[in-house]
Amino acid sequence: MIGQVLAAATLAATPLLLAALGGLLNRRGGIVNIALEGKMLLGAIIAVLVSAKTGSWVVGLLAATAASAFAGLLFSLSITRLGANEIIAGLGFNILLAGLIGYALNDQGTYQPDGLSTLPVIDVPGIESIPWLGDVLSGKDPITYLAWFAIPATAWFLASTRPGMRLRAVGAAEDAARALGLPTMAIRDASTVAAGAFAGLAGGQLALGLVGLFNQGMVAGRGFIALAAFYFGRARPLPTAAACAIFALFDAIQIRLQQEGLSTQLVSTLPYLVVVIVLTLTAVQAQRREATA
Amino acid sequence: MAAADVTATATAPGAAPPSPLRAGVTRAALALVPVAAAFVVGAIVLAATGWDPLSVYRLMVREAFGSTAAVESTLAAATPLIFCGLATALAFRGGVFNIGVDGCFILGGLAAAWLGAALTGLPGWLLIGVCVLAGMITGAIWSAPPAYLRARLDVDEVVTTLMLNFVAVGIASWIVNTALLAQGTANSASSPIAPQAELPSLGGDITLGLLLALIAAAAYGVWARGSAAGYELRMTGLNPAFAQVSGIPVRRVIAGAMLWSGVIAGAGGAAHALGVVHRFVDGFSPGYGFTGIAIALLARNGAIGVVFASILFGALASAGSTIQLFSDIPLDIVDVLQGTIMIFAAVQVVDLRRRIRREAA
Repeated sequence: MIGQVLAAATLAATPLLLAALGGLLNRRGGIVNIALEGKMLLGAIIAVLVSAKTGSWVVGLLAATAASAFAGLLFSLSITRLGANEIIAGLGFNILLAGLIGYALNDQGTYQPDGLSTLPVIDVPGIESIPWLGDVLSGKDPITYLAWFAIPATAWFLASTRPGMRLRAVGAAEDAARALGLPTMAIRDASTVAAGAFAGLAGGQLALGLVGLFNQGMVAGRGFIALAAFYFGRARPLPTAAACAIFALFDAIQIRLQQEGLSTQLVSTLPYLVVVIVLTLTAVQAQRREATA
Repeated sequence: MAAADVTATATAPGAAPPSPLRAGVTRAALALVPVAAAFVVGAIVLAATGWDPLSVYRLMVREAFGSTAAVESTLAAATPLIFCGLATALAFRGGVFNIGVDGCFILGGLAAAWLGAALTGLPGWLLIGVCVLAGMITGAIWSAPPAYLRARLDVDEVVTTLMLNFVAVGIASWIVNTALLAQGTANSASSPIAPQAELPSLGGDITLGLLLALIAAAAYGVWARGSAAGYELRMTGLNPAFAQVSGIPVRRVIAGAMLWSGVIAGAGGAAHALGVVHRFVDGFSPGYGFTGIAIALLARNGAIGVVFASILFGALASAGSTIQLFSDIPLDIVDVLQGTIMIFAAVQVVDLRRRIRREAA
């Protein structure tokens, strides 16, 4: 039973992880991306449409990534060029994207076209039969492995590459970065586009991997849980990934609880509650440090 | 997070005060820009899917305002929005970026629906009073943690209030599926409230709730413009550092703004439970709190503006469901319009501030 929970949690972690890493990059660049939810939904529908049209999940995911990256660009331009408030614009994009998709589907709710190409599952020989470890490491889709790879890659990108350091400079001290001649707006735009791409891939994986269909309610707050994850991880890749793993475990336990007849509604609030608690503890700590200093 | 960005009001310190009439006209005209932009985007979407936008919009206007019944359902749809718009506007005016109105609305509704069904022995006016009061208190309680965190510990209220919305939905859903689950219903609904707790109709779909909303709007308008506390709220929103040195208790003002925001939202939830739903159900608020943000933005946190913007969104919601019934245009077109209005309103606030700065220079 523990093996099943672990396997379910690993699956549930992938879209959270991808979206949270995208949001993290954006946050490091100085933008709080509340529109991850809408971009995941966009990625999900585009992935299903294109995968069914072309018969290729790869093309489907590429299209999903590109579409959400473009939505990210529009979102970013509204903030960096037109000076929109990022929170309001983000909420607006979520409502707009959900509205457009709902309009296009004409309230069908669920959309499962014929010829949908879903993600293959990779069994890792030698590991798959090991209890618990095999449940986590084997039998996952390629995007899940890609998402794991993205954790150290993001950390390396931020810590050791020139664009990564520039991104952090823009987020930490925009005026100083501009004075040094960095194109701060373009760098911010790039990080928002990246966040869109990650969220699009997350939505595509959700649609083509876990379920193999599109549903208007399928993202179900995962974009906001991703937001909670990078807030929990204070926009650092490893703690953020750890938060995604914890939240995914909540999710898997919740499915279990449902079978046991216990309250799923309360378990579903845990990620959000955890973030409020973490923010509180961080603030208390900061205030204590200030008091002793 | 520059909360002051969304809370700019028409006069900046140091600027020559424009005549009230001209300021009002300018404000109304500026509010029309995002609305017009949204209708252009909506027209593109409609045209791209084979509808004639003009005839659809004409139909929507007729369905929203074309008959007494239509006006009544528009005003009924506007009622919860006035509460949520006021709750948001009050917080925004103080520079507090409270986006947790939806959670307060939901829990306020839950409290009112619970007491309305439990205290069946009370006479109508008393029961209604108790239920609305319970909604207000619940709203205040729910906004107290983020208020304390923001005022005392400087915790970003955007994230806490956003997160607590989801927690409120979960808690309400849990309660309505366990302790308050009505016997004999499939699921996710509480027992109906006592008949005497239902808000009386003031004509068609309009209930006493609309009157309460308008009273709240009037009280807010007078208080915000005419009282010392209202002045302190506005100064805190415009420039907290300046407000602090001029002796305004900024932290207390911020905490108060969030608590009162919760009170108004909770009252709105209670009015919605007693006037419209007559019980509590899962999905009690289809995002009224978020529409409230768009409304407060369009209204630039003014009371009269909130009422008009609420009527606009009420008209969209009411006409949207009718045209979905009769012409097969998905109701989602309303979300397309609302999302676009929010994006353009978020953009426009800064334009307004730039203009003021230029005028002041």
